[in-house]
Amino acid sequence: MARYGMVIDLDRCTGCRGCMESCKIENNTPQGSYWMYVFRFEEGEFPATQVRFMPRPCMHCDNAPCVKVCPVGARYKRDDGLVATDWERCIGCRYCEVACPYGVNTFNWGHPEEHYYFDWNAEGVAPEARGAVPPWDNPSLDEAYGPEERHIAGAGQAKGVVDKCTFCVQLVENDSDPACVHNCPVRALVFGDLDDPGSAPSRLLQQKPSFRLLEEAGTEPRVHYVGGNPPTTETRQIEAATAEV
Amino acid sequence: MAQRATRLPYGVGSISARWIVSAVLLAVVAIAGWYGWSREISQGMIVTGLRNIGPMGGATWGIDVVFVVYFVGVSFAGITVAALIRLAKLTALKPIARMAEALTVVSLVLAAFAIMYDLGQPLRGIVNLFRYARPQSPFFGTFTLVISGYLIASLVYLYLDGRRDAAECAKAPGRLQWFHRLWAAGYRDTPAERERHDRASFWLAIAIVPLLITAHSTLGFVFGLQVGRPGWYSALQAPAFVLLAGVSGLGMLIVIAAVVRRTVTDRSHLPDEVFRWLGNALMILLLAYLYFMVVELLTNIYTGAERERDVTGQLISGDFAWIYWSSVAAFVVSLGLLIVRFVRKSAAVGLLVTAGVLVNLAAIGKRYLTVIPSQTHGTLLPYETGSYAPTWVEYIEVIGLFAFGALLLTLFAKLFPIMPVKDGDAA
Amino acid sequence: MTRKVLALGMVVAGFALQAVAYLFLATPIGKPTDVSFSNPRVPFAPVLFILGVVLVFLAALVYELLPDRRASRSGNEEG
Repeated sequence: MARYGMVIDLDRCTGCRGCMESCKIENNTPQGSYWMYVFRFEEGEFPATQVRFMPRPCMHCDNAPCVKVCPVGARYKRDDGLVATDWERCIGCRYCEVACPYGVNTFNWGHPEEHYYFDWNAEGVAPEARGAVPPWDNPSLDEAYGPEERHIAGAGQAKGVVDKCTFCVQLVENDSDPACVHNCPVRALVFGDLDDPGSAPSRLLQQKPSFRLLEEAGTEPRVHYVGGNPPTTETRQIEAATAEV
Repeated sequence: MAQRATRLPYGVGSISARWIVSAVLLAVVAIAGWYGWSREISQGMIVTGLRNIGPMGGATWGIDVVFVVYFVGVSFAGITVAALIRLAKLTALKPIARMAEALTVVSLVLAAFAIMYDLGQPLRGIVNLFRYARPQSPFFGTFTLVISGYLIASLVYLYLDGRRDAAECAKAPGRLQWFHRLWAAGYRDTPAERERHDRASFWLAIAIVPLLITAHSTLGFVFGLQVGRPGWYSALQAPAFVLLAGVSGLGMLIVIAAVVRRTVTDRSHLPDEVFRWLGNALMILLLAYLYFMVVELLTNIYTGAERERDVTGQLISGDFAWIYWSSVAAFVVSLGLLIVRFVRKSAAVGLLVTAGVLVNLAAIGKRYLTVIPSQTHGTLLPYETGSYAPTWVEYIEVIGLFAFGALLLTLFAKLFPIMPVKDGDAA
Repeated sequence: MTRKVLALGMVVAGFALQAVAYLFLATPIGKPTDVSFSNPRVPFAPVLFILGVVLVFLAALVYELLPDRRASRSGNEEG
């Protein structure tokens, strides 16, 4: 059984945020909701400032605090290592959101269909978009996944539920890579079976020293970083993505 | 309506114009609260000031959660006082037993509403919690032990404790006689029955106290077990929750007792001794809670981890300083009033009510400071600092709950004597 | 069966039901490694837990309200 994970090569990341955009298109995340997020960091004092970038998907932790605290088992750990959210069972208590040390969860505050950046019902939009309105409704997001047959794909599937990065389960279960990995122009994101020493992420881990974020929190994240350093208390974020709803 | 031969005690069953006006006012405010909730249901929680933690820079748990914790806290004192009267044989406190029990029940109902207000899918919440609730989640304890178990236990206690007075009231013919007869359920005031009631209540009280401590501790665990939230992760959360629950509950009980003394009874039935005892108990609990606050503060500022120091810094001198220091001031002033009253050995009901109100305001402030700063200013990854400001929907929901609670209590007092009519003990 | 035995039985049964529901019928406790940590072993197990809590407290009600066998002499009525 594959146990998926991701390795992110910070030497390669240029902070273009193409992964954020692809994730948004693939998973239909509403306005202000970023399942994949890329930090643009600045460190040091002028003139010795340094800028670096760090993508932050969901860590799909092996000891996930969000899974432990979910009162109804909507957030659960799959056998293949993914941490999934069943949007049919979620009651919207947002305990997973406060429990996550990484801040990866997003809650659907309003009617999701009303928050897609653009008034898709405006005149003249439909013909321009050639029928792809409201935002292309990827049918694979509505299916049930896994041997457990639960509805875990896609963002904004219901008002008042929490969702987060799913490692694009709808793609992964069809032997594809997640959208962010797929679309990174410099192949900074590598996805695969971490249990298999011959897989791409495992080989990358063998080649370079790695770290994981917030390891001291005991969450056992499945996303590793190579080619860089974790943010320190001196690291500050610049150019934060606008996240309003 | 013909004049009845026997009037029911403590204003039960007799409705004045003044009462109707206040009941209607309370009902209007309560309905306004539910109107606010209806906006939340139809438009989604976007009508609140809550937003996502992280890139969105918000707090996802706001004043609805604050008041869940607050109302569960207030419910603590009611049934504890009632249980202590039974277990420690504090016969002097018998006059407030029933209002204490009623306060617990009403407060838990309000807490249940506040939880519903906070869920993104409340109807699903009710079904799925009963179906799937996981013991590993601290919410399991809140849902099963607090809202279900503790509420049932308090209702049973209230019911059994009221049977004697119900039998007494059932002797008077009137519109409420059927209700009192039903409650009394064939109670006959024989020594055997009184002894039976004593024994049942004693064991019930013994069973309720550990349930209380467990229930409040799981509420503390909701916060205290979260490693990912600086300022929450602490072994002190559970005991601090229990203590602050006692403080705010006793304060509220004092206020209610003073109101009852003013409206339906007098000094002879609700003597100063009761208030003196309540004041002393509040003073001791407040001292213990202030000790917890000092320990927490010193630990965090001495050489706390960076994020904990950040959050604490916000409390002491940052965005939340005004709430922090007003709460501290309210606690200290209350303690001062209570000590003055203790030293002078007087009841000083006026001072007590002031202290009671102040500690409740401070408790709300403290609960707010527990919930919000760790979300907006306590992210472990370097997101931007967040902010949270409740909207009118959240304010009206909370105010509506207070009005609803007052309405329930005042309705209860009209249906059933809020003070004991006859002493029900065998001894 | 006297009320005492019935009430005591309810208390014991109540606690037993709580323990069984919490430990064996509800969702397993532990580090979550697969789907089974998100589903109760028996559907509506939390309801059984709550029933256990309720049973313990209803025992007091039963103890006080149930008439004695020797009812005819002391004249207690049933509620």
